[in-house]
Amino acid sequence: MSPASYIRVEGLHKNFGDIPVLRGIDLSVRKGEATFIIGRSGCGKSTLLRCLNGLESFDLGRIHVGSVDVQMSGGQPLSEKQVRGLRKQFGMVFQSFNLFPHLNVLENAIKALMVVKGMGRAEAEAVAVPILEKVGLKNQLFKYPSQISGGQQQRAAIARALAMSPSVMLYDEPTSALDPFLVDEVFQVMRQLADEGMTQIVVTHEHRFAREAADQVVFMEDGVVVEAGPAEQVFHSPADERTRLFLRKYS
Amino acid sequence: MKLRRLLSAWAVPALFLSSVASAAEPALLRWAADAEGGAPYVFRDPRNPSRMIGFEVDLMNEVAAKLGMKGQFVQNQWDSLIPGLKRGDYDIAANGIEITEDRKREVLFSDPYFVTYEQITVRRENQDIQSLDDARGKIAGTLKYSLAERMLRAHGGIEVRGYDSQTTIYEDLANGRVDFVLLDQPVAVYYGNPDPRLKSVGRPIGEMSYGIAVPMTNPALQQRINRALRELRNEGRLRELYDRWGIWNSRMSEEFQDYSPSKAPTELNSYLAAMGKKRDWRQQVLQYWSYIPLLARGAVTTLQLSAVGMLLAVSLGLMLAIVRIYLGGLPGFLAMAYTEVIRGTPLLIQLFFIFYGLPNIGIKLTPFMAAVLGLGLNYGAYEAEVYRAGLLSVPRSQMDAALSLGMSRWQALRHVVLPQATRVALPPMTNDFISLLKDSSLVSVITMVELTKVYGQLASTYYDYLGIGLLTAAMYFVIGLPFVRLSRALEKRFMRGRQPLV
Repeated sequence: MSPASYIRVEGLHKNFGDIPVLRGIDLSVRKGEATFIIGRSGCGKSTLLRCLNGLESFDLGRIHVGSVDVQMSGGQPLSEKQVRGLRKQFGMVFQSFNLFPHLNVLENAIKALMVVKGMGRAEAEAVAVPILEKVGLKNQLFKYPSQISGGQQQRAAIARALAMSPSVMLYDEPTSALDPFLVDEVFQVMRQLADEGMTQIVVTHEHRFAREAADQVVFMEDGVVVEAGPAEQVFHSPADERTRLFLRKYS
Repeated sequence: MKLRRLLSAWAVPALFLSSVASAAEPALLRWAADAEGGAPYVFRDPRNPSRMIGFEVDLMNEVAAKLGMKGQFVQNQWDSLIPGLKRGDYDIAANGIEITEDRKREVLFSDPYFVTYEQITVRRENQDIQSLDDARGKIAGTLKYSLAERMLRAHGGIEVRGYDSQTTIYEDLANGRVDFVLLDQPVAVYYGNPDPRLKSVGRPIGEMSYGIAVPMTNPALQQRINRALRELRNEGRLRELYDRWGIWNSRMSEEFQDYSPSKAPTELNSYLAAMGKKRDWRQQVLQYWSYIPLLARGAVTTLQLSAVGMLLAVSLGLMLAIVRIYLGGLPGFLAMAYTEVIRGTPLLIQLFFIFYGLPNIGIKLTPFMAAVLGLGLNYGAYEAEVYRAGLLSVPRSQMDAALSLGMSRWQALRHVVLPQATRVALPPMTNDFISLLKDSSLVSVITMVELTKVYGQLASTYYDYLGIGLLTAAMYFVIGLPFVRLSRALEKRFMRGRQPLV
């Protein structure tokens, strides 16, 4: 574990009933770094993201992020305080965007600011509008999710998460529900955030993008991290036979 | 917002009024009857339907005057007169209530104020029916659950048709649907005899005595009423009263030992004159117009009940649905059990339980409160399922997204899931409201006079079920309409940003 790590995950175990999904995950992410997690569907990578921001509880292990330290030694669910601590650190972007369909783009981005942070509408808009403009939705503020393209929806979802000023952004297959033509506009936003120094963890099957943008690539299989390292190393000279097999099939 | 203000504007005066009414002034003698029973007991004056008249109205006013009090009429469903008396909603009940051993276990009775019998009425050309023995193999019409019905069934060999209202029985006799009618003599005088196609025949059958019902707890009042009745009888006031209404009969002569001839039945005559009056279409329109204020008053009550009841139902239903989906465990099970039990039992019986049952454990609600509670608790069970469907229709991922933004589960529910669930729940909720609007007529069993009750009273007075029925139906339609529109508007608002499916 490098001392410069901002996120440290140690020995994370998670079962769904009798089925082990995470079997001792170790992971470390430095501040400002883009970490890409790759692996087959069902290898546990999405569950790992959901554990990080407290959408799923875990059974055993430790998540250390910034000043938040959540340790589980079996059984009991996460406390309200632990969950809140994790969620404050992480912003989350979902595969199917999960925008609130009854709210327009602007309202999507300010709702949590008003409800969670207790901001007034004007104050919340002052926070959210520049972010929405930055992701290129200046002209879509008053459109409803159903009235804009998938790429725009995903950018709105990113802006919504960013508005809460998390220190880390989590992306759960952010482009797999998108038309191939719309993928790049989302990547563009993620690149821009990386340039601004945002720490990001991305679960994806887009190896082309991972290769280009990742500071660290993590390959997972059967609930464990098989291999982690710089993109160049994992993609071109994987140390583990399983990584090699996977890349041959999916690249 | 506007709706809520409107609702409270309706609800508050009603609650206030009913609480004022239950604190009876000492000088009032509150007596109960069912004005739907018709002439000549207690009924709406055909010349002025906002006025209650009838021989029992006159009698109660005379008795009250003897007691140094002022009579005040309280409407209640006939079957509920005695439960309401025991509950203390009024001081006495008098509405052709026969003195029977069963009832004597429930209430005290005054001495009989009227004695009568069952009367056979047949079509004018009929020669073969003079007694029940002649009637074997024939079809009889009578009122459901009446003494006459019991006598007919006990007699055997007669096919008995039970009716809800006496006006239709004689009409069916004239039309040949039944062969004869057996009903209380005063009823025959008012509904049978005036029809030129009909005649009353045969000797008096059986005997019943009407008494004034007084609560068990008030024997002093029973004594005072008996004294008043004796005085009225001795002064000849009772005889005068029965003559005026045209219902003096042979049994009364025996009872009062008074065989003098009757004087002119002035009230009966003016009733028949009012009923027999031929109206041209313009007068008929004016006549219907004159019912509107009465029906409107009933409609306001219906609306108040339904609106407040629905508000309660929706709040309760929402709570139950949330508990069931998000809490689970024992509370979830209890919420489910509530829904199943309430949905699976009749509203009428629930109303009876709340109004007449709960006082046994010290909870006595005003009729309005009991009605709202009954409707609200009942419909709450249905709304719970409507909202459960709505909540389940919102994908789990919406909750995830809200939580990931730092909202608590409650905040996520309130700001993200509920607005979407409500959109789905709105059309069935509107459905239920319209249905509740009409179900609210059941509360007439707990003394509430709402739209359907006013309809029943007017229809039985004027013998006009079709015209007044259409008017009442239109009234229901009209009061439901704004809510349908409101729901459409809300739905449209919730539809913002949604592509319609078709």
